[in-house]
Amino acid sequence: MTKPDMLDDLFELARDQSAAPDDALMDRILADAADVTRGGHAARVSVWDSFLEMIGGWPTVGGLAAAGVAGIWVGVAPPETLTIWTADLIGTPVTIDLLSDTSGLFSQGQIDG
Amino acid sequence: MTPQSEQWRDAPDAALLRAYAGGDMTAAHALSTRLVPRILAQATRMLADRAEAEDVAQDAMMRLWKIAPDWREDEAKVTTWVYRVTSNLCTDRLRKRRSVPLDQIAEPVDPHQSVTGQMQNTARLTALADALAQLPAKQARAVALRHLEGLSNPEIADVMDMSVRAVESLTARGKRALADILRGRKAALGYDDDET
Repeated sequence: MTKPDMLDDLFELARDQSAAPDDALMDRILADAADVTRGGHAARVSVWDSFLEMIGGWPTVGGLAAAGVAGIWVGVAPPETLTIWTADLIGTPVTIDLLSDTSGLFSQGQIDG
Repeated sequence: MTPQSEQWRDAPDAALLRAYAGGDMTAAHALSTRLVPRILAQATRMLADRAEAEDVAQDAMMRLWKIAPDWREDEAKVTTWVYRVTSNLCTDRLRKRRSVPLDQIAEPVDPHQSVTGQMQNTARLTALADALAQLPAKQARAVALRHLEGLSNPEIADVMDMSVRAVESLTARGKRALADILRGRKAALGYDDDET
């Protein structure tokens, strides 16, 4: 078993260590303090700000909004040329009513679990 | 003390922190002058590595700057918070040393060769830090706060947010474990059986 004196001696040796900070360390620490203050203290970034930064800021949001509005408009009132173009490309759209045969069942409540 | 710090000489730490949060950099300067030597000393004792201790000091102060606007004076003393953060940062770094086998670190200095006392002290301090690294983090923190910082058990209980009884148990177990770890290195560190 190690005698306690050895540990006590090591503890005392460690306690005697002086460690005065030099100017360079103090300068770094104060620079950090200034940075944090400049960043609006703690640089509190909201989720929205993080999202904005991720996608590229307000110019990107403007572009996305314009594209969205244009898409909605095309959906609501597609230009005639677009209909012709899509018909040429993928054929004439055909509407199939999948519920036509069973609609009566629903209305009459004849489906058993 | 610099003129900048002089105006804050009698102000409590929390008042300095509040002033800094309000944008007063002279308060940051005064607080740094007060706390950094203490943090650096604590980290140096635990890590036995000046460069790492400086990193810890900078990291601990950065955390303090960031928490300043939210500081609640009724919850903790700044010094208690600093002890806590510093010892946590130190044990984090000590934990990373665990991956290195004990016999490959802190190459012991042969006391029978003509080495300086300083070299032997360095070897001893490194051996102590490496042995602390082998302890569970809580034990290492408790032992360091008790035996390297000289805090009382109630003070350690505050820092570690646990009961005094738990602190007593941790420090006792930690000290025993340290002794076991260092047992095999006694002669290499210059502690001959007949001397101790």
